[in-house]
Amino acid sequence: MISRLLDGTRVVELCEVWAGPTAGSLLGDLGADVVKVESFPRNSMSRPLAAPIAGPGDGPVWERSHVHHLANRNKRNIALNIRTEAGTAVMRDLLASADIFFEGYSAGTVDRMGFDWETARAINPRLIYVSLPGWGARGPYEGYVTLGSGLDAAGGHTAVRGYPDRPMEDTSPIYHSDATGALAVIFAVITALHRREQTGLGSYIDISQIEVLNWHLPGQVAEWAMNRRLPERLGNRDPLIVPHGCFRAAGGEAGDDDSWVVIAAETDRQWAGLAKAIGHAEWAERGHPWSTIPGRLGARDAVHEAVRAFVAGETAERVVEVVQRYGGIAAPVVAPWSLLADPQHTYRNWMQTVVHPHVGVQIFPGFPWQVSPDAASWDRPAALVGEHNYEVLTGLGYSAEAIERLQADGVIGQRYGG
Amino acid sequence: MTSTPGVPRPLAGHRVLEVGGSLPVAAATKLFADYGAEVIKVEPLGGASMRRLPPFPGDVPSLDTGAYHVALDTGKRSVAVDFEVASGREVLDRLLAQTDLVFVHLESAFAVDVRAGIRALAKPPAFVALTEHGLDGPTSEYVENDMSLFAWTGRMRNHAIAGQEPLRYAPHVAEMQWAATASAAGVAALWARAQGQPAREIEVSGVEALSGNVDTWFTTWQFLGTEAPRAGGQSKLAYPAGCYRCSDGYVVFAAAGQPFFNRLCEGIGHPELAADPRFIDPAQKPLNFDGFFAVLDPWLRARTKHEVFTTLQRHGVMVSPVLDASEVAGDAQAVARGSFVERALAGGGTTLLAGPPFRMEGGWEAGPPPRVGEHTDEVLRSLGYTSTERLALFRAGVTG
Repeated sequence: MISRLLDGTRVVELCEVWAGPTAGSLLGDLGADVVKVESFPRNSMSRPLAAPIAGPGDGPVWERSHVHHLANRNKRNIALNIRTEAGTAVMRDLLASADIFFEGYSAGTVDRMGFDWETARAINPRLIYVSLPGWGARGPYEGYVTLGSGLDAAGGHTAVRGYPDRPMEDTSPIYHSDATGALAVIFAVITALHRREQTGLGSYIDISQIEVLNWHLPGQVAEWAMNRRLPERLGNRDPLIVPHGCFRAAGGEAGDDDSWVVIAAETDRQWAGLAKAIGHAEWAERGHPWSTIPGRLGARDAVHEAVRAFVAGETAERVVEVVQRYGGIAAPVVAPWSLLADPQHTYRNWMQTVVHPHVGVQIFPGFPWQVSPDAASWDRPAALVGEHNYEVLTGLGYSAEAIERLQADGVIGQRYGG
Repeated sequence: MTSTPGVPRPLAGHRVLEVGGSLPVAAATKLFADYGAEVIKVEPLGGASMRRLPPFPGDVPSLDTGAYHVALDTGKRSVAVDFEVASGREVLDRLLAQTDLVFVHLESAFAVDVRAGIRALAKPPAFVALTEHGLDGPTSEYVENDMSLFAWTGRMRNHAIAGQEPLRYAPHVAEMQWAATASAAGVAALWARAQGQPAREIEVSGVEALSGNVDTWFTTWQFLGTEAPRAGGQSKLAYPAGCYRCSDGYVVFAAAGQPFFNRLCEGIGHPELAADPRFIDPAQKPLNFDGFFAVLDPWLRARTKHEVFTTLQRHGVMVSPVLDASEVAGDAQAVARGSFVERALAGGGTTLLAGPPFRMEGGWEAGPPPRVGEHTDEVLRSLGYTSTERLALFRAGVTG
């Protein structure tokens, strides 16, 4: 049984790729009935029509993409051509039935399709309506397109991550803003549910994923605003903490030759634990130059060299175990396969085993929160294209004949490519 | 987009408690305060540890002007109490009994003890425990910080060039995401409680919050049997994707796939490249990066990042400028939307705060951050402590 915090709440999702669909999954995890309106007959970006991105198993390529599976659990799926007259009518019925609607297209796209906020609220005055474009629904960048990597750049994060001693060309694209954007949607729509209790009316919510990222980076803009300094690219260094870095370990239990450990000592107590783990408790004793914070700050290279030598002589597992035993900070830089063997994840039954008609039995990372007493569960794997066309339309009051007509007219479907 | 007179903000009427003093627990309650809840920050007499996080104006340390405190404690009330002694613990217990939702970030044993106290209440608040690894289990007692937490999640390994040192993201980004995860779970629990459902107990482990969101690279490995490529910035196989130099900096492309590649070719004045098999045949494209770069690079080098951005966005190309902090604050979209607000600092000077992460009419207002213990006396009075009791607690060093 899935968590029931949002029991009785109907959500309609009109989004592609990651940020919006992830929000849909998280709302589903919390117990909402989430209906994903799948792009049809055009496939969405995360449902490619051809390899090489296909995953395991057989069946249509668009059902096997890991990019899609990650962000689409716990939803029902209707594949609907909303650019047709009949599709528009279905969409209006969906909006009439929903508590929450959110769309993740570039600003203005959904408005031009005829599902702008004013139209939607006329259909359903209690509807909570979220626009989730990269730069927000309004402003000079209306219509601009992006993925998470572009938001990371324009939001100021790319400039301050990456290798300090390498050119920007070597900085990896990341998709952090998809995760943060999805979480912002959850907070926003539930806050709007609270408001609806006050007013009896729905709300319009404009989310700029850039602005979400802004509040996740308060130190960056403050450095500029307070001191007119631009934050540096620090890599793993911290100007105020020694040691603070990532060090190569000897091969791990799996014989991995790309095995790393992060080590930090923010306080004298943590430093004492680390020094003891290294076998040099005297480094933390009174009188030793490294026993104090100023002493370690002044000997950054030497301290890091000592830590580097220690880590290089042990496996990552052994380093972490012994440093943590003495109260220091140490963590392995885990590889994907390490998650499967992590004793903590095993103890908490965190990884999820999921069965899907096309990709078979797969293991996924678990939920980002654990709810008691009604724990989240992965009741629905990523739905097939149009898997719930009949069920959703029946729920809206459509007869079997009407549904067959929609199918025959290509307004709904279950596959791409004719 | 601040609150309007006469219209309550959406979370008005709910009391939220924050216990622990760390950055993650403070960040977890921020939005509750900004959207109208009464948030009480229960902090140690010496002030919450997150108040000590730089930067500070002029690099002068202060419990009242740190960037994270100013940004994340907006509109909260502060109660300073030593809840490790019996009299202080009673203050905490009385607060818990009059709270709708509580966030704790404490040592596991103490968090479990607080949870046990809550369970005994007639109408317990919803409970959200932030933990690094979970309240129990083999690594539940491990000590972590922002970087080490990130290392446990798999994303640090991916944020590297293969064989080279893995990197964290910017400082505190991992903690902030963990906090936002707790916020989202917490507001759902508050909603459920307000609907008359039983109060929930929620654990948000930092490792699980980060590993269990969409940008995990585990599923790539699980589905494809291989790690996601760790090639650094510019993919030579599927391009253009990643960082490219312009005349005054860099842009980031995500234009390898269709229809974006076609639009890019049109945007740079070479529509013929969109039909060139060297760049569109999946078998040939990975062999011909240099050929495409020879066309793209001079076009980029002749333009600023802003020109590249606006020119190619008009063609529908996924491209963004790499902006630094000053440029983010001064960006045309940010200025037009009022994405940042200026805030005066205690002792003089100003800073910029991010505005609302979501815009709901009359929904958001970022009040001033509290001084340590600024609201101790009035909150204790509201909890029923007499004047004599409040004086005695203060004199004994229990409150401040």
